[in-house]
Amino acid sequence: MSVGNSQSLDHQPVNDDCQGSWHQHNPRKGQFTMRILKTITTIGVAGAMALTLAACGGNAGNAGNAGSDGASSGGSIENLKIGISLPQKTSENWVEADGFFNDTCTEQKLDCTLQFANGGVAEQQNQIDAMITSGVKVLIIGAIDGTSLGTQVEKAKDAGISVIAYDRLLLDTEAIDNYVAYDNFQVGVKQGEALLEGLAKIKGDGPYKIELVAGSNDDSNSSRFFNGAMSILQPKIDDGTLVVGSGQTQQSQAATQGWDPKNAQSRMDAILAQNYPGSEVPDGILSPNDTLARAVLTSVEQAGKEQPVVTGQDSEVESLKWIMQGKQYSTISKPTLPLVQNSIALAVKLASGEKDIKELNGIQVDEEQYNNNKKNVPSFLLEPIVATKDNAKDVYKDEPKKLEAVNSVG
Amino acid sequence: MSEQFKQLIGGNIRQLAMVAVLIAEIILFQILTGGTVLSPQNLQNVISGNAYVLILAMGMVLVIIAGHIDLSVGSVAAVVGIVLAVLTTSMGLPWWVGVLGGLLVGVLIGLWHGFWVAIVGVPAFVVTLAGMLSFRGLNQYIGKSNSIPVPEEVRTLGAGYMNFLPPIETGNWIINSPTMLLAALGAAAVVVLKLRSRAKLVAAGASVPKAWVMWVQIVFASALLIGLGWVFATGRPGTSFPIPGLIVIVLFLCYNFLARNTPLGRGVYAVGGNRTAAALTGISVRKVNFFVMFNSSVLAAIAGMVFVGRSTASTPFDGNSWELDAIASVFIGGASVWGGIGTVGGTMVGALVMAFLNNGLQLLGAGADWTQMIKGLVLLLAVAFDVLSKVQGRPSIIGLLWKPKPKPEAEQATKEA
Repeated sequence: MSVGNSQSLDHQPVNDDCQGSWHQHNPRKGQFTMRILKTITTIGVAGAMALTLAACGGNAGNAGNAGSDGASSGGSIENLKIGISLPQKTSENWVEADGFFNDTCTEQKLDCTLQFANGGVAEQQNQIDAMITSGVKVLIIGAIDGTSLGTQVEKAKDAGISVIAYDRLLLDTEAIDNYVAYDNFQVGVKQGEALLEGLAKIKGDGPYKIELVAGSNDDSNSSRFFNGAMSILQPKIDDGTLVVGSGQTQQSQAATQGWDPKNAQSRMDAILAQNYPGSEVPDGILSPNDTLARAVLTSVEQAGKEQPVVTGQDSEVESLKWIMQGKQYSTISKPTLPLVQNSIALAVKLASGEKDIKELNGIQVDEEQYNNNKKNVPSFLLEPIVATKDNAKDVYKDEPKKLEAVNSVG
Repeated sequence: MSEQFKQLIGGNIRQLAMVAVLIAEIILFQILTGGTVLSPQNLQNVISGNAYVLILAMGMVLVIIAGHIDLSVGSVAAVVGIVLAVLTTSMGLPWWVGVLGGLLVGVLIGLWHGFWVAIVGVPAFVVTLAGMLSFRGLNQYIGKSNSIPVPEEVRTLGAGYMNFLPPIETGNWIINSPTMLLAALGAAAVVVLKLRSRAKLVAAGASVPKAWVMWVQIVFASALLIGLGWVFATGRPGTSFPIPGLIVIVLFLCYNFLARNTPLGRGVYAVGGNRTAAALTGISVRKVNFFVMFNSSVLAAIAGMVFVGRSTASTPFDGNSWELDAIASVFIGGASVWGGIGTVGGTMVGALVMAFLNNGLQLLGAGADWTQMIKGLVLLLAVAFDVLSKVQGRPSIIGLLWKPKPKPEAEQATKEA
């Protein structure tokens, strides 16, 4: 939060200063601001000058802030201004995204502003507003809540800015160009398949007792994961192969408020106390991600029961260790780098005026699956990969940090 | 008959309001769940799973009595949790170094908050709002938003059991002996305290209820303690009354004594009741303010460590909206929003009301949506009930319940001073 705010605040006085001195409206105001700037940056006046000059140069390039003449002067991709707005920095994939976005932007000499909205929805709205004001050409948005950014996204469209939804879909708005994500329905499907596979492999013949865990109700991906998994599991529940011990088969019952592991752990505590007396155990637990997988495994362990087959997602380092130890059965690999690279590639295409893009680095556009209640959003969907103990070394061979975790066990 | 009944339950029927709510709630869910609520496993879950709220609330109630608020406790707990995890797991230091390091962080943050509130005079709401933001950021900075596991010994603090004595095995039962020992100690303490307070009253020439009234009270309280002990002791072999619960009891005894029987504790009430009057009677307002803010952060540190012990890892989610749980417990427990009124014991009852409500709804399989709606409503109704009961200028129902009986006038005088 602090980083985001200080960045956007930094921009304001600098802009004022530039406009003031160009138009000669109020030279004294300009000098005054300058003096303040100099006083504040006690470390070096030269630093402040450089900052001001750089900002002026940037503004001169795309002076389309007030008028309409700047729109056609797209020019080269170099120094293309991209605004990247991401949600709270609460899991490893967002931390990775931070690094990869910065690296990719530096490599391609793009002028990217990346901000995390650690303070919540309102902060993300403010950050995006500031990005629009600062004159970005493309917005890449990983929304905290896909329904709450409508105003900002409409404003961006009016300003001629292209909008890409990153990883999480923006709902209830026409003003979105594309969606780049791992196919989250497929994530759920693969989790369901992994659960069945693990049950057959580890728990012998059915029928199996299972429990279901879903993500937070305020995240639009939660129902995709859950519905994807249930598309595999429901037929097996109907034919009696699977029995949900607690009977809690609705997503709202299985939901984990705020994706907070504490909530999943205490819910599983209650389910075990209520539905699995004595030595009874669930054979498997469907979990939408690794953090919640570890929480429910901890709950089962603390109840002194045998470990069930548990699915996951995100390839968190701690869960990779648990998978190699045989505690967690599976996770889903959705490498962040391809997602970041494809988003940037798409941003560049959109900025250079391409419309109705059908193909991106070999991925065909999907115009069916993702409807945001206003339109079918043309989506570029990457294929998720299931990782278990058997294939982990292969899946993570290009990700040093994760491979290290895999190799650190046995 | 009604007079005798009044004496039996301690003089004023309204005192018992929130305890009655707690008992009614437990009985209701016990029936609805077909007997799961009072099963050993579930009671252990409730105690281990809510120990952090109980600990936070003890610090929070003193802050609120003194007329302040502490919004930072969740973030402080999160920083302490990640420091503990990094020191032990990432840096490989022994577990006790991690715990001491975590406590030190709590102490430093406590000094920081105390300094700004008591010395500089910035309102606690602002200081701790700033702390809530900064320390959340610090948690993410230190942990790089990763989950980091904590060692086995710390897990024992958060979810472990007492097994320092061999269990008693008789026929079908395997009974955890430390738990029964604890219950027996508790029952003995009830007997001694009751007899002593009666002897004091008699010596002072005050009128006392009939002897049988006291003995019924003693038998009832002891039976309750032994019964609860029995439930905890006869769970799955190897389990007992949870260690985090033991930590809560020890802290409760300390803070209950501190709030009721020490000059510092009485000073907290005096400052919260009327700051100017307190200052004029020679109480150091600055010292009291410093103490409550400092203390809250230290307890948040302990809560954070107990919590990561139970969840076996420090995660970036730790501490999210914990301050709200703690504040809700304090107000359900009968504290006044305006300061000066509230008790540690009442707060514990308030926290347990919320804990059993949460637990009961989860046992019934109510979704997160329903749970939140019902919890919000219960918070509102509980405090409204308390406010209505104070309309005639009487002190809090729950406040009365935990007040030392021998000197009600003295306490009243302190509050109005």
